[in-house]
Amino acid sequence: MEPLNRREFLKFSGFAGALAALSACQAEDAVTPVAAATLTPSLNSYPSSQVDTEEWLIQQTLRRITFGPCSEDIERAREIGLDNFIDEQLAPESIDDSEMESYLTDLDALNMTPDELLELEDRRQAILTLVKATLLRAIYSKRQLYELMVDFWSNHFNIYVRKNFAGLLKIIEDRDVIRPLVLGNFHDILSGSAHSPAMLVYLDNAQSNRRHPNENYARELLELHTLGVDGGYTHQDIEEVARALTGWSITDFRDEKPGYFHFRTRLHDNDEKTILGQTFPAGQGIEDGEQLLEMLAEHPSTAQYISTKLVRRFVADDPPASLVSKVAQTFTNTTGDIQQVMSTILHSEEFRTSLGTKLKRPFEYAVSALRITGAQTSVERSLGLFLTQMGQPLFHWVPPNGFPDNAGAWSTTTGMLARWNYALSISFNATRDTELNWDDLINGAVSTTDVINTLSSRLLGAPLSDDSQQVIFEFANKLNPDLQTQAIGALLIASPQFQYR
Amino acid sequence: MKTITRREFLTLGAALPIVAAAPNNLSSWLPRLTVFSPQGIETPGDILVLIFQRGAMDGLNAVIPFTESEYYNQRPSLAIPEPKIGDDLTSIDLDGSFGLHPALRPLKDIWDENQLAIVHACGSPDPTHSHFDAMDYMERGTPGEKSLSSGWLARHLETATWENGSPFRAVGIGSMLPSSLRGSVPALALQSIADFHLGGRIRNQALVEFQTALSDLYQTAPSDEMTSSISEISNLSNAADLTFNATGMFESAIEGEYHPVSGVTYPESPFGQSMLQIAQLIKADLGLEVAAVDIGGWDTHVNQGSTEGQFADLLSDLAGGLSAFYHDLGDLSKRVTIITMSEFGRRLSENGNSGTDHGHGNVIFLLGGGVNGGKIYTDWPGLSPNALYGPGDLDITTDFRDVLGEIVQRRLLNESLDEIFPSHTNWKSLDLVRTG
Repeated sequence: MEPLNRREFLKFSGFAGALAALSACQAEDAVTPVAAATLTPSLNSYPSSQVDTEEWLIQQTLRRITFGPCSEDIERAREIGLDNFIDEQLAPESIDDSEMESYLTDLDALNMTPDELLELEDRRQAILTLVKATLLRAIYSKRQLYELMVDFWSNHFNIYVRKNFAGLLKIIEDRDVIRPLVLGNFHDILSGSAHSPAMLVYLDNAQSNRRHPNENYARELLELHTLGVDGGYTHQDIEEVARALTGWSITDFRDEKPGYFHFRTRLHDNDEKTILGQTFPAGQGIEDGEQLLEMLAEHPSTAQYISTKLVRRFVADDPPASLVSKVAQTFTNTTGDIQQVMSTILHSEEFRTSLGTKLKRPFEYAVSALRITGAQTSVERSLGLFLTQMGQPLFHWVPPNGFPDNAGAWSTTTGMLARWNYALSISFNATRDTELNWDDLINGAVSTTDVINTLSSRLLGAPLSDDSQQVIFEFANKLNPDLQTQAIGALLIASPQFQYR
Repeated sequence: MKTITRREFLTLGAALPIVAAAPNNLSSWLPRLTVFSPQGIETPGDILVLIFQRGAMDGLNAVIPFTESEYYNQRPSLAIPEPKIGDDLTSIDLDGSFGLHPALRPLKDIWDENQLAIVHACGSPDPTHSHFDAMDYMERGTPGEKSLSSGWLARHLETATWENGSPFRAVGIGSMLPSSLRGSVPALALQSIADFHLGGRIRNQALVEFQTALSDLYQTAPSDEMTSSISEISNLSNAADLTFNATGMFESAIEGEYHPVSGVTYPESPFGQSMLQIAQLIKADLGLEVAAVDIGGWDTHVNQGSTEGQFADLLSDLAGGLSAFYHDLGDLSKRVTIITMSEFGRRLSENGNSGTDHGHGNVIFLLGGGVNGGKIYTDWPGLSPNALYGPGDLDITTDFRDVLGEIVQRRLLNESLDEIFPSHTNWKSLDLVRTG
């Protein structure tokens, strides 16, 4: 293992804590080989009746509702039971996360006001700070489901950070809209997005005016944020929505403080509008937009569309219709309470039978490898660059629909190659900011077979098939002994089994 | 037809058996570290390069209908002036009715050589103004229908009568594959030829062993535990398989840095570099049949610009990349057909932000040795208010499938149009390209 040089050590200690505190996870008792040997899940992942179903469910559920379980997560779920663990994750404010928060204290850009951000000379650095904070939180937060929800909404309301100064203002939207509201009420997060300067810049509404309403935001508001493309609206509705939202703009450099939401009365079209059959009387000003957002949030198509997307994210690429209709019912009954909606999803039978079948996106893949192995990382540039190579540069998806959420989009040659190179890189400690301690992970195992079993149950949460075990055994025996553990680890992280959650 | 060079002959000999596999045989897992070389594989048709302009290109400002007064009436700040000799900031006259945007000047000599054709008022008949639906319909070749999941290019490869087991048969530039290439024939997503290999702190034999073991794990995965449904995991296995094949071939076929022919410089942009990589693949003779490239940024709702500005810069990148590619290929361009397309056009009237909103009819550029070029193909619908489509868009008088279908038939030599474009019936012959 590489010793840290003085400069790196200082960098680490900048995170207000000892290096050791940066370990994502303490060493975990791996699933014991004995218990593992009884686990023979079927191809569709759900174990047959004679296996240790509870342990298998814990391991696989935690791979779905976290970015990858660390030992503390597994222990906690064993201790309080899986249902209670899910409920605890659904109430993130009950989980103390002060340790992770202490890693963010030096990231000044996260706490700036819009006008302070817009005065920065190095705007690119501020955006990199947001990327770094997002990665640190995904890796170290104990509120793992919460961080997955942040990722979900950040993609639902996708903003490309290189569009004008939308990037800087994304920092504000992430802090003041997305993060406080991810498990709140749908109307609130929708309204927060609609009022957010980042979105108004990204989809051009900031420049829309009554003489020439800009349709860009209006269209995506209906198509991507609420009703869905088949949600029952017409081109006429888009034009009327665009009119209703004229004047929803931001303060600019001619104003006292730039970068804040600002309703420009003189640019607003104050005539009557008809949207989805409902009349918006003349003279309502900003209320046109407020009323519109309420109407969209309560629309049955929105319940259906948001439920479908959440089920796709947390259950399956092809969302089971039975579950979507239950979830949409919860959405409607609770007027869009996302916490309740998520509870319906995560406690469902469809959720349990789907475990292990979602291909990880690169963000989930990269972070899961760090969390499950308990790697230490200060998250300098390399992780973000790996994500770019794998095809998921955070906050850099250009069109407004967010990163794709189906296996077909991600199982590509370049994407797989980048994942394997990442596995090799972290396993052999090839980047200076990340350190992985295999001795902790093998937990005293000596023989090749024991090392393979210990590492595979730790990394995969389930045993390997005989065939796969044989492949790894033969591989390990061809290697120089001092490379073996790292190489087995790299192979497991690169393996097809590790690509799923 | 090509002759086999001495180097190719040696490569072929070293790599027996040559695999001329049926498309799906790639998943059958052969011993991959024996370098498989398709160099010298003869496919009968052209190499097709498909360029997709994401975001909806403004065709009316790319190929300007400069005799239309409505064009100038509706675009007071964006219109490109009618041609004026000696003035570089006016349209470039093509046929007395239409002119190229001045930023497309690099294409003019290809036009003059009759190797560039333009189809105007062309596109997908579905009325959607949604980027995502429109792209999807076009790339799958089934406007208005969402039931068929494969792309039109993938179906072309599936139904072709010849065999080509090269991992480079179908290539999409980027880390993701465009929908047009998604289907049962594995397609390679290629970001960078130079970086397409495994690397790290283990080297040489250890790395070879790692790759072998990884191949084997991906091969056995479909029957393994805790993985997904068979079709999904086999996608992953196919991608893995293709990756190992391709890395092996790159090692043997591509040496050192690529240098275009003298006098040719590709733009430094992602698009320019994508075109450079396709040229490199073509020249390495790796069995490429179709390549797909994206060029983004065309959703110009705000500050589109006129003869200069945002849109002009995009066109300049497009023309620079196309022109460099065309000249770099030299004689090889006789067996290459290039198509540009975009999900829809943009509205005739400019909006209040010096931009344009989503429209309908658009322009397709066709380049190549088999193109009946130097001609605008259009049944021009006109721009008067009653000639416009929907909210004020250029109408579509040529279905994009008529363009693609004719190329598939005449240049790619595939007759299975019913399977590639299953819902299209009233085929219109355009005579855009020559047969054979």
